Amino acid sequence: MKNTSMKRFRPLIKILSLVIFIIFIFLPLVQVVFLSTISTVPREGFVEGQFTWINYINIWATPTLRSSILNSITYVMLNIAITVPAALMAAYAFSRYKFIGDKHLFLVFLAFRITPPVVIMLPIFQLFASLNMINSPIGIALAHCLFNLPISIWILQSFMNAIPQELDETSQIDGHTLPSFLIRIFLPLMAPGIGVTVFFCFMFSWVEVVFARILTVTGGKPISMAINSLFGFQTDIGLVMAMTMMSIIPGAIMVYFARHHIAKGFTINQTN
Amino acid sequence: MSKNQLSWILVSPALMLLLVVGGIPLMTVLNFSFHDVFNQSNIFWIGTDWYQDILQSDRFYNSLGRSLLFSALILAIEIPLGIYLALCLPKRGIGVSISLICLAMPLLVPWNMISIIWIAVLNEQNGLIGTVLSGIGFHLDWKFNPAHTWLTVITIDVWHWTSLVAILCYSSLSTIPSPFYQSAAIDGASRFQVFRYVELPKMNQVLMMALLLRFMDSFLIFIEPFRLNAGGPNNSTMFLAMDLGEEVAAFNYGPSAARSVIYFAFILCVAWSFNAVLNYQNRDNRKLEN
Repeated sequence: MKNTSMKRFRPLIKILSLVIFIIFIFLPLVQVVFLSTISTVPREGFVEGQFTWINYINIWATPTLRSSILNSITYVMLNIAITVPAALMAAYAFSRYKFIGDKHLFLVFLAFRITPPVVIMLPIFQLFASLNMINSPIGIALAHCLFNLPISIWILQSFMNAIPQELDETSQIDGHTLPSFLIRIFLPLMAPGIGVTVFFCFMFSWVEVVFARILTVTGGKPISMAINSLFGFQTDIGLVMAMTMMSIIPGAIMVYFARHHIAKGFTINQTN
Repeated sequence: MSKNQLSWILVSPALMLLLVVGGIPLMTVLNFSFHDVFNQSNIFWIGTDWYQDILQSDRFYNSLGRSLLFSALILAIEIPLGIYLALCLPKRGIGVSISLICLAMPLLVPWNMISIIWIAVLNEQNGLIGTVLSGIGFHLDWKFNPAHTWLTVITIDVWHWTSLVAILCYSSLSTIPSPFYQSAAIDGASRFQVFRYVELPKMNQVLMMALLLRFMDSFLIFIEPFRLNAGGPNNSTMFLAMDLGEEVAAFNYGPSAARSVIYFAFILCVAWSFNAVLNYQNRDNRKLEN
């Protein structure tokens, strides 16, 4: 008797747990929205705590904040442009061939993937300083390859493994050379995989702050660092939160498009 | 061209990039860790002094202990909670997309903002959680009470990363064909047996990955506790990576390099063990298939 009544309530308990956790996730985000739409510092013509769009208007009116959004987009795009072609080539090798040293290479990529940026932030700074790449988006884009490249290789590899190897063989019999096969036939088939890879590169690169901070000293600051620089003697927390909103929105849009493949990046499979 | 040559040509751009942004810095820290660096032109060989300093200091072992405890707590909370949430997610319909998008939200917040947002939420005057807590008479003093700081850091991390575990587990759960569940029902399997013998084996690999990422990221957590309370009160939330961050901020080349090398040696051990377990599991799977 008790058992059947429990069974009836099980779906309800499941939904309830999920809803409670999602509310827990959204509490801080609601706070951000709330604070970003009120005036939080004494201003002429405003009561503190009054509803207003002034913070968003201020972002638009401040050149450094405006350009920081552009800086973030620039380095993320550069990172994607560097990561995806390199990862495509490596993933093809891992997916199609068994070669000497593939297991060791996997270990190297794995080790770099789990190395936190803080462990090599000082030498990275020195290296890029000696290459004159401080304050430039290229520096951050290159540094972020450390974690984006291994994960891109794994994502692309899992998509490639789903394409049967016979395709490669028949098209070579048809007279395609390897580069022409890869570009004309293989790449179009990989479009969804590339899309997911782009999403993950974007996500990991967008939120990272250790490299982004150490590689931008005086200029070229990304969104996260522009927010940091807003803190001072009298912090306009409304402006800070409005800027945080601006940094979440692009990611939220990307998540919407990638929602079906969002977990693909982590279904890791070693060389087969 | 042999397959070996072709493969190595194909992986070489990726490998070169990683050697530049990962390999060269590691060589640099290895070099610095044996030197005393006054400035770029006054560098003296001092052997293993920095290593001895670090490995003989109480501070290192205290931080190590705190980091291990933190990782253990984080894994103990996030892994089961993540699995449970994955089981709670609807299997089909519009609810799937909505839940996944909602769950992914914390992963999109820039890391330096996470603690700032939480400080705002815990504010006792106008924070959504802070006002409720003070309303029920619980004064959360994350600034000066070590236990409360720990509670706050753990809550923040659970908020930030449990979704990742849940999303990963959900992705592997959704690949289980429904005949598996039907035959389990015919055999009269209890809910727990279905989980233990049908769902858990399927999640195995993805759980390993979640475990690895969550362990490494929490073990060397830096930004969140630093932005919350900078290791305070009284160094009670001073984790390994924050010690390193402090040395780097002071531009102590030698000691910070030695620390980096020690941490990287640890990372290599973890990566190697993970790899070994993965190999072992693959071998088992192959045996099953044969």
